[in-house]
Amino acid sequence: MAASAALRWMVWGEWRAHPARVLVAAAAIAIGVALGFAVYLVNRSALDEFERAVQTVSGAADLQVRAASAAGFDETLYPTLARIPGVRAASPVVELTARASPDGPPITLLGLDVFRAAQVTPSLAGVRQGPAGAGTTPFDAGQVFLSAAAMQASGAMVGGAIRLTAAGQAASFRVAGTLPAAAEGQRIAVADIADAQWRFGQLGRLQRIDLKLAAGSDARAVQDAVAAALPPDAAIETRQTQATRGDSLSRAYRVNLEMLAMVALLTGGFLVYSAQSLSVSRREAQFALLRVLGLSRRRLLGMIFAEGGLVGLIGGMAGVGLGLALAGLALRVLGGDLGGGYFQGAHARLVFAPGAAAVFLGLGLLASLAGAVVPALHAAKAKPAVALKSAGDGVDPRARPPLKPGLALLAAGGLAALSPPVGGLPLLGYAAIALILAGGIAVMPWLAMALLTPVRPRRPGPAAHLALGRLRGAPGQAAVALCGIVASVSLMVAMSVMVASFRGSVDEWLGQVLPADLYMRLPDIQTGGLDLAAQADLTAVEGVRRVTFRKMVGLRLAADRPEVVLQVASVDRADPARSMPLTGQTRAVPVGATPVWISEPMARLYRLKPGDALTLPLGGAARPVAVAGVWRDYAHQFGAVAMDSADYTRLTGDTLRTQASVDLAPGAAPGPIIAALRAALPPGMRDQADFTRSQALRAYALRVFDRSFAVTYALEAIAIGVGLAGVAATFSAQTFARAREFGMLRHIGALRRQIVGLLALEGALLGAVGGVAGLGLGAVMGQILIQVINPQSFNWTMDTRWPVGLLTTLFCALVAASAGTAVLSGRSALSAGAIRAVREDW
Amino acid sequence: MSPAPALSLTGLKKSVPGGRVLFEGLEFSAAPGEIVAIMGESGVGKSTLLNLIAGLDLPDVGRIEIGGAALGEMSDDARTTLRREKVGFVFQAFHILPHLTLAQNVALPLVLGRAATAEALKSAHDLLDAVGLGGRGGDYAAQLSGGEMQRVAIARALIHRPALILADEPTGNLDPETAAKVLDLFVEQARTHRAAAVIVTHSEKVAAVADRALVLSPNGLSLRHGR
Amino acid sequence: MRKAIAGLLAALALAGPAPGQETTVYPAVVPRAPLRFPADHGAHPAFRTEWWYVTGWLKTPQGEELGFQVTFFRSRPAIDPRNPSKFAPAQILFAHAALSDPKLGRLRHDQRIAREGFGLARASTTDADIIIDDWTFKRGADGRFRARTAGEDFALNLDMAPTQGVLPQGDGGFSRKGPKTGQASYYYSLPHLAVTGSILRDGQRIAVTGQAWLDREWSSTLLDPAATGWDWVGLNLDDGGALTAFQVRDKSGAALWAGGSLRSADGKLTKLSPGDVIFADARRWRSPRSGASYPVEPCLTVRLPGGPRTWRLKPLFDDQELDSRAAGGPVYWEGAVSAPGARGYLELTGYAAPMKL
Repeated sequence: MAASAALRWMVWGEWRAHPARVLVAAAAIAIGVALGFAVYLVNRSALDEFERAVQTVSGAADLQVRAASAAGFDETLYPTLARIPGVRAASPVVELTARASPDGPPITLLGLDVFRAAQVTPSLAGVRQGPAGAGTTPFDAGQVFLSAAAMQASGAMVGGAIRLTAAGQAASFRVAGTLPAAAEGQRIAVADIADAQWRFGQLGRLQRIDLKLAAGSDARAVQDAVAAALPPDAAIETRQTQATRGDSLSRAYRVNLEMLAMVALLTGGFLVYSAQSLSVSRREAQFALLRVLGLSRRRLLGMIFAEGGLVGLIGGMAGVGLGLALAGLALRVLGGDLGGGYFQGAHARLVFAPGAAAVFLGLGLLASLAGAVVPALHAAKAKPAVALKSAGDGVDPRARPPLKPGLALLAAGGLAALSPPVGGLPLLGYAAIALILAGGIAVMPWLAMALLTPVRPRRPGPAAHLALGRLRGAPGQAAVALCGIVASVSLMVAMSVMVASFRGSVDEWLGQVLPADLYMRLPDIQTGGLDLAAQADLTAVEGVRRVTFRKMVGLRLAADRPEVVLQVASVDRADPARSMPLTGQTRAVPVGATPVWISEPMARLYRLKPGDALTLPLGGAARPVAVAGVWRDYAHQFGAVAMDSADYTRLTGDTLRTQASVDLAPGAAPGPIIAALRAALPPGMRDQADFTRSQALRAYALRVFDRSFAVTYALEAIAIGVGLAGVAATFSAQTFARAREFGMLRHIGALRRQIVGLLALEGALLGAVGGVAGLGLGAVMGQILIQVINPQSFNWTMDTRWPVGLLTTLFCALVAASAGTAVLSGRSALSAGAIRAVREDW
Repeated sequence: MSPAPALSLTGLKKSVPGGRVLFEGLEFSAAPGEIVAIMGESGVGKSTLLNLIAGLDLPDVGRIEIGGAALGEMSDDARTTLRREKVGFVFQAFHILPHLTLAQNVALPLVLGRAATAEALKSAHDLLDAVGLGGRGGDYAAQLSGGEMQRVAIARALIHRPALILADEPTGNLDPETAAKVLDLFVEQARTHRAAAVIVTHSEKVAAVADRALVLSPNGLSLRHGR
Repeated sequence: MRKAIAGLLAALALAGPAPGQETTVYPAVVPRAPLRFPADHGAHPAFRTEWWYVTGWLKTPQGEELGFQVTFFRSRPAIDPRNPSKFAPAQILFAHAALSDPKLGRLRHDQRIAREGFGLARASTTDADIIIDDWTFKRGADGRFRARTAGEDFALNLDMAPTQGVLPQGDGGFSRKGPKTGQASYYYSLPHLAVTGSILRDGQRIAVTGQAWLDREWSSTLLDPAATGWDWVGLNLDDGGALTAFQVRDKSGAALWAGGSLRSADGKLTKLSPGDVIFADARRWRSPRSGASYPVEPCLTVRLPGGPRTWRLKPLFDDQELDSRAAGGPVYWEGAVSAPGARGYLELTGYAAPMKL
């Protein structure tokens, strides 16, 4: 009891004496915890929202059969499935993406058989509103039920009219009522299935069949029986596979953000380390005295740990609160995907997670305790008799700091970087970054000495002399001051190298994939499109040199994976590289085989390489095709397959196209040609078609890119801020500890500004050393991000680009900032009585 | 000597890391209440000897007993406990912790042991009274003069009623007048508490108030000439 | 004229065409169109609405008495006939089954509804042969009708053998329903069907025998606009006779139209006209669910050439109310009733709320 009172006195006394130092360390932990927790909460909320959205649209069927592509499957599957024993009811569904206006948000249009839906997915039943009477049956032609969000998005009202465009055809409907069971924010329109089939060109096709199982039936057996009955262009979907797909849709992105937040926490841990080491080394004599007076080694360890733990606890709790606030703000401002663009239209609500809060609090505590381990051991190992007499450092300036532990950590990091992903995530890649960071910081004392030893100014002024002497003599302390800054700078460098490389590669890629002058797109048309006659009309427009028609079809190759995109376009057989940005080798396919070119993510996700065979569900059959090459693609993270237009038509009989790239005749003005092209379109598509010039498209793509990385930049900036706070804390601690030294200097005649100069120089030198180390470590970590983490989480590769300007600016800013910080934090120590400082001899 | 000596050293040898032998075959003992001054030239090993006695350092050869307990056979923890219970310290540089109150500083040795905090603080206030700092237990080191700080240090050295007090140049940082007062206080308190005291000093005045004054040389301790 | 559910379906069928849509033309019901069998056992898809309606009494081996009804409806909504979709709701089929169990004290009932198509729901035009998912009603080559309905908490599996010839209602199957000449239906009955089979109740299969009544009716024109409900009763008389009686009520409760028939054991058929049928109010039962008050124990007087005859009807038990509001249907009372020397079914509609068509 009493002994712990002594410890309490010690800890409390120290904190009362230097509250700012404790606060900075706690704040560092708080920021790390807050970022991690906020990102987690936002992700959790967004995922919940996505799940709710999936459930609304699917109406919570027991089992769902979905078309492999938006073209749907043959409707005769419906009676087949309905007759399978154990299936209580089957509800056929036409599912299309519709719009109420060309620039309005997409609305999910469901064509339902109300009698079937009532049994299987009652939540999709519309509730009639307004006057009943003639012309109001549930399956009336020309009526829709709208969810609140769809009502809002379209401006339609019950009893009013709405014009919906889907699959390239437009039709008017009367709004008969609402969908009260639709989740908030879900834009859904429900019409009669026969009406939907007829008016949107879906005759004979269904996109999905919802199944309700008979009570007491063996779900597994029924599922197997259903699976056995499915054609290649349909697949089973359970709630799990839907959830998995929703999860995998954004998983890699989320993990990246989460890891970035963890890195901020790690920086916080280093800050605690730096604060604790300083406070320990400054108090070495005190600890020695306590040891002399009879405090056991274990108790001393306990005390320093308790100090670290308390800092972690305070920081962690503050961080959880801050994270909650931050998440709320982020959801409001940036949306559920933090600007990543994954959950379009989803409207996430903040979900508090007490379990996760505890985990992040624990992580903060852990980071803080880990930061206290080294200083605590150091203090406990110190010989009291020596420490009692020594002031501060306790390190023999002649000793070379150890190199081996740091090198071992770096080597372990290298090994981790070469390891394969775990569970589809680059976890070891992140471990590599953490190990290399820790290793880099462990070699900092050695590095600081190695870097500073050769520095010999020709005519050293007294300030430079003293500064160099100090840094060389106590490299351990220099390293301690540096570790926060090295951690944050290296992470910032790594991220900026990665982002610059990514952006550069995307820019170059956009140039390759957008060679034409103009692009025309019919949004949300997954079925239907321009027929041959309409294509000929467009080609005939004056001022047009060449039009290539394309089509994008979503194909689901596995139920628990997001769709891959089939890109139908004309491919130059002789030189496919002219048609797409190929990477690596291409391979001639066997005679008679249909060649496809797959995207990089597709190759990695499905483990395919040129020469491999695969089957695609096309035109109601599984079509064997051969991989002829791999191309770089940043547009479709879940994979894309390119197929020649002629092959596609041959396999499916489908000549409809939904996109066109237009090369203009020399000297033709794009404006009038867009108008002429629009006029040449079939009437239903005239309003719907999107014309874009490739420049605008490129600018747009890069804007989206920058937006999605905005959060990344923000996290980096915060990490740097935390690092600089560490420098400030270190300097104020050191200058305070060195008050005696400064007092003595003032006694022997040093001018005040000379001491300020000394501090500035020390700060600048320290910043420079930290900067060099940070740049070096950051370059290595950036390579891990580019070569390991990105390919493993997004399945794409990029070419390294060095943002030299940014890095130079960063380095200079860092040197200036740490010099400034050193001066600022030193001033207070300087003003405090120099006379008294000398009288105290420790 | 019939009662067990407060401190006894037998056959002590200690050399510095370079290999130079500081002393060899050193024999010494002090009775309870006896005040011994140890003198000698700088670098002869006076402070090292003090560290050996405190159990902060270990001899190459030889035996150190405090109140009959042999340090050499103890673990670091046991030596720490022994120090806490049987030994008090007074330093030349006072080592009063600046962020603790004077009473807390004085109470530290008790509080580090098993004593109840409130009682420890009460004893500390009583002792501060005894050393002439009555009523100032709530002050901090920054408010004290050097002599006052050393009075606090003396109180701290005595609070746990040690068998042995080790003092390293206790008046070295004080002006002569203050030094004399502090020395008187020290001697008076040591005798009152029947604690043996070993004072390492260069000061003749200190040597004069001691029961014995010894000189440390590489050959060991010898009685000072003229006494 | 029958059946509350038919009213609901008729409402569906009444739905007017959407603007710009071709109108659906229904054939008229005309007198002196002879019934033809077996084709008239089958569906008449051109007409707006049609039903196969079986009601009857069952007896378990333990001597327990139960009532049941199995009804299949067909309705032809007014849709745009140009829509080539196989899902186009050209015909809607609906089936309803109920078991009146005195031990339970209320009805067990369930239903099926589907648009015709894909073989999952269909009604043959050549003979009685209707399928809605797992529910079927079919006339076999041996002339027996078989009903299979498996519901949530009970199932009926009944064979019904005709013991008498077809009973054409009205004028040779042309049955007036209201004061206006167009308000009529084709209507015939098959009373005294001998029932064998089994029911599934509380997970237990129980063999049953009994006697049932089949009503067949199809029409395009509905009730008089002033009608708010109707009472109908069909009784198998112990002597082999069969009594049909109905009245259509207006807002005040007065009979807007009435009719029926009595076929005696020797086959002599007497047609009843408005004025021949009097439902005299007797004991009423108030439903705790809907609050409606039903004349569950009416005194039925029929004027016959040999003088009026009276049947005092007694329900098997009071609470035979059918509340199909949850499924969007009406609330009405339909249950097994008996009178000295007679057993049959009584339907009372328009008591909870006017049957608005």
